[in-house]
Amino acid sequence: MADFRRTGRKIIAIGRNYSEHAKELGNAVPTEPFFFLKPTSSYITDGQSIEIPAGCEVHHELELSVIIGKEGRDILAENAEDYIAGYALSLDMTARNMQDKAKKEGRPWSASKGYDTFTPIGDFIPKDQIPDHGNVDLSLQVNGVTKQNGNTRDMIFSVPALIENVSSIMKLEEGDIIMTGTPKGVGRVLPGETITCNLTVDGRVLSQLTFPVIDRPTPKRR
Amino acid sequence: MASRNFIHSGRKIIAIGRNFSEHAKELGNAVPKSPFFFLKPTSSFISNGQAIEVPKGCEVHHEVELGVVIGKDGRDISAKDAHHHIAGYTLALDMTARNLQDQAKKAGLPWSAAKGYDTFTPVGEFIAKDAIQDTNDVDLSLKIDGVTKQNGNTRDMIFKIPSLIEYVSTIMKLQEGDVILTGTPAGVGRVLPGETVTCELASKGKIVSQLRFPVIDRPNKA
Repeated sequence: MADFRRTGRKIIAIGRNYSEHAKELGNAVPTEPFFFLKPTSSYITDGQSIEIPAGCEVHHELELSVIIGKEGRDILAENAEDYIAGYALSLDMTARNMQDKAKKEGRPWSASKGYDTFTPIGDFIPKDQIPDHGNVDLSLQVNGVTKQNGNTRDMIFSVPALIENVSSIMKLEEGDIIMTGTPKGVGRVLPGETITCNLTVDGRVLSQLTFPVIDRPTPKRR
Repeated sequence: MASRNFIHSGRKIIAIGRNFSEHAKELGNAVPKSPFFFLKPTSSFISNGQAIEVPKGCEVHHEVELGVVIGKDGRDISAKDAHHHIAGYTLALDMTARNLQDQAKKAGLPWSAAKGYDTFTPVGEFIAKDAIQDTNDVDLSLKIDGVTKQNGNTRDMIFKIPSLIEYVSTIMKLQEGDVILTGTPAGVGRVLPGETVTCELASKGKIVSQLRFPVIDRPNKA
């Protein structure tokens, strides 16, 4: 499970799971969960750089990720805990201008969410270190200034509800992750800035990550 | 080799949208000026002979496609180098819950669920690269219960495979075992439980792959 970044077959990211975040982007608060996929090629780990592609306005979105430990589909919420191996602190980096355009045109979100480096994620946190996934503090700073500061109690759909919903569509496999949504305070990051974020439970810091932000390098052409 | 075993080893399925102009028009969509893609989860793969599941409430359409299997990692791959990154091909269907997709498009929401249900990526065996001499002259056909519904040739692709590899790899690095579904010709339509979908890929008049998928209702939760 510790190497979920290498073995995991999919990243399922839940949209608009905090009502304040839905409102800050002018979106309706959803009556049922929805998700999109991010490619596993977008994973980076603590200390690696987030790349800003030319022409993209890239936003940070701080999220609690759930790591799946057991395969299943049509999982009931009451059994969902059995399928959780652990957690990780993560960012759902998003090319906001591309996403806005895709929404207007009714097109997929995949590119705006799927650029290389767009899923910065920390190490595996075993399940027993987070006894209550509904009480996790998440915070994010850009160059030391706090931008996002939330708690998972504000999730509209709980982790078990999300596992039930997603697994009724796609079977979940060991190493898959579900990114459970972001609190309000999303915003743009620019090359040269540094993002730091942490995950805290009852005052104990379980994960602390740093990601420098750079321009995506231009390809060398022979 | 990971590419031969792509159903188990592949890390992503990248599906190109609207790459045959007649198909764009039949669904009332604008013909695109540049490619676009969406992701399908690898959990949706099924092999020849397995059953396509129609979920309750979904109007599921068939879309027959030529799949390209990636053989070598790379990003920012130029079109002229693209062929070095191809390991082979596969005949595939991009099954789609059309009513869910229409709703998602109207609402500006992701396509991931409409495209991502279990069994929604039926594929054939790995086809070695040299079995298809010219990827711009591949016949793709599909029948439901013996009646031809789709019958096209990849010469009608708007964006050719090297351009698709170049485009996708400027956003997401490609990895060995990844599959790119290159779009579907006109003639998409609904399939119902009890029907059987057969499809065929021919190169220079020679049948290279022939597949058969029964269609059933998605079983109820236990």
